[in-house]
Amino acid sequence: MFTIKFRNLVVAVVFQSVLFTTLLPVANAQKPKAPVEATPPPVNEEFKFGEVDLEVLEQSDLLDRRLERDGLILANEPASVYLNHIAHLLIPKDLAIERVTWKFQAVRDPQPNAFALPNGSIYVTTGLLSLVDNESQLAAILAHELTHVMRRHTYQHNRSNRKKFLTMNIMSAIGAYAPIGAVGAVIMVVTTVAPFIMVATMYGYSRELEREADLKGIDMMISAEYPPEEMIQVMKLLDKDIEGENIRLFYNDHPSLDERIRYLSGYLGARADKVTPQMALNRERAAYFRNMEPVMRSNLQLSINSGRYRSAVYLAQRLVDFHPDSENLFWLAEAHRTLGPRAPQLTEKQLTNSAKKDAAKKREKRTLEEEEQELLATPDGKENWQQNQQKAEELYLRALAAENPIPLAHRGLGSLYEKLSRANDALTQYQKYLELSPSAPDRERIQRRIDSLRRS
Amino acid sequence: MTNTLRVFKVRTIVFAVTMLLVGVTSQSIQAQFLHPKIKSKETTIRKIVILPAKVNVVRDSMKGPEGMAAESDELSVRVEEKIAEVLSKQKNVATLPRSSDATNADSQKYDLADFQTKFDALLPTIAKKRSDVKKGRFSMGDEVLNLNLSKSADAIVFIRGEGKKLTSGKTAFRMLVGGTPAYLKLQIGMVDTRSGEVLLYTDTMLVGDPTTAMDRLRKSLEKGFKKLPSAAAQ
Repeated sequence: MFTIKFRNLVVAVVFQSVLFTTLLPVANAQKPKAPVEATPPPVNEEFKFGEVDLEVLEQSDLLDRRLERDGLILANEPASVYLNHIAHLLIPKDLAIERVTWKFQAVRDPQPNAFALPNGSIYVTTGLLSLVDNESQLAAILAHELTHVMRRHTYQHNRSNRKKFLTMNIMSAIGAYAPIGAVGAVIMVVTTVAPFIMVATMYGYSRELEREADLKGIDMMISAEYPPEEMIQVMKLLDKDIEGENIRLFYNDHPSLDERIRYLSGYLGARADKVTPQMALNRERAAYFRNMEPVMRSNLQLSINSGRYRSAVYLAQRLVDFHPDSENLFWLAEAHRTLGPRAPQLTEKQLTNSAKKDAAKKREKRTLEEEEQELLATPDGKENWQQNQQKAEELYLRALAAENPIPLAHRGLGSLYEKLSRANDALTQYQKYLELSPSAPDRERIQRRIDSLRRS
Repeated sequence: MTNTLRVFKVRTIVFAVTMLLVGVTSQSIQAQFLHPKIKSKETTIRKIVILPAKVNVVRDSMKGPEGMAAESDELSVRVEEKIAEVLSKQKNVATLPRSSDATNADSQKYDLADFQTKFDALLPTIAKKRSDVKKGRFSMGDEVLNLNLSKSADAIVFIRGEGKKLTSGKTAFRMLVGGTPAYLKLQIGMVDTRSGEVLLYTDTMLVGDPTTAMDRLRKSLEKGFKKLPSAAAQ
């Protein structure tokens, strides 16, 4: 008996030492040594490449190639030039960073997002490019991502995670061989809880790096004469949650948008009041829209393809407001037609966290067509459908009456009439589309629809 | 001491039994579901076009997962080749080239990328209730015709996969403590080239190093397509 108790005691002592020498230093490492407001230098010059970092770098280069190969990069020369121009205004002059080659590209993805790879590749999705209002807001996004690269955040995060994973594995090994009895039970409890603490610190560290990127981003914006408060405007735009998809989870790798707005406002303080003439120019909305209009249009198709119909309506309306009597009318018509029985905006009730979670679960269970059928069976759904189809028809007709009408508006009207069971009208519109676009890539599909309408 | 020995013995037995079960039964697990049109032989898949597979594998080490982008790309190509080989040998299904020309044209590249994305969006719904493929519930719409594939193709094949390779350290750790083994899980969908309906869905899983277990992959694919009627028989 004594032997067992003594052995258990030894195990407990050894376990405690392991716990204090591994878990606590790692947890303590999360506490920022100095407040972020002390603003570290723009580049992490103390950073030295190790073998692990070179592996991460290699993976980043491969990811660049994969994005290009898979058709996810938008081949739009003016947009790339524009992104490069803004980024190079933000990057400190004559700055050379080891193993970083700057590259700025638009990703064909309707979800608003941006990310940086440690090799210097920075990607902004077409969804985010379409959402922001002016060049300064785009500069805010780029400044944030540039900080991730310049401060070597990806490498630091990877190094930190590796230590934590190792600790978690050691913990589970200890837990698996815990002796029976009270001491064993204590060890079991601690080893079960430890991974959760580790995961929490991983996310905590990630949030700390995001905060640093936000604050350093503000400094970069001021240096480049971009109004820094536009970073807060970006956060507000992201907070809009048009699709009801910003779900609060237990673990988050970014600080909440509310928190970001709060600390950014605090950091900015009086500096937000100093506006130079250049800053005022960089806030101009029309200049930004002129540069990004083609990107925004291509993003509308992507939004519709991926069932982000509310975003499509919202973004197309912004385009029409900027440039009415143009192709933009066609895009707004498409957005309304595909919105179908959905309301253009989510209600407050639909925007609660629990409602968003339920909606996410439902999205996984049913297809978009099934969702549409379900909504059409409700009075609200029927009303929305009627309103959206009417609006779409009116917009298609306006698009066709505008200068240089695009043939696609005939195709849109064809689809609309087909759904409204106006077979003859649909047939006429489809035929007009094919007459005007004899080499359309969807020619075969439309021809099949014509054949099917004739048969019916 | 007796207690500890007993615990150790029990753990050893449980571990041995688990390993035996894994060895005997879990070399590959698969499920397959056919559209009623295939089952009733209204539609026969004779020629297919395989879209670029998206298979991602990671190296699981004691210090966490590490990316294997180059190996994943190589494996994706090998999986495509194995599927073409299995379908040709077992089911007399011919694989047609993806596109004869304009492969570099941006619009072609975008159409393909968008269609792959569309499949990715539909996949969780299919996986949630795979048996509904048998009811003909899932479709990708007639936009499939925009891909402008060969007119003689009957179906488009989508391949998604994920896998894990263990480092030697992690393998030893797994033997002592437990945890998931190295594996490769594939989800394969066949879509009608004209209507966009999902004609077949199959998922297979093999236990073993995904980058080297090619023979096991072939066997697992053979089982995965077992229910698909042979093109020669009709």
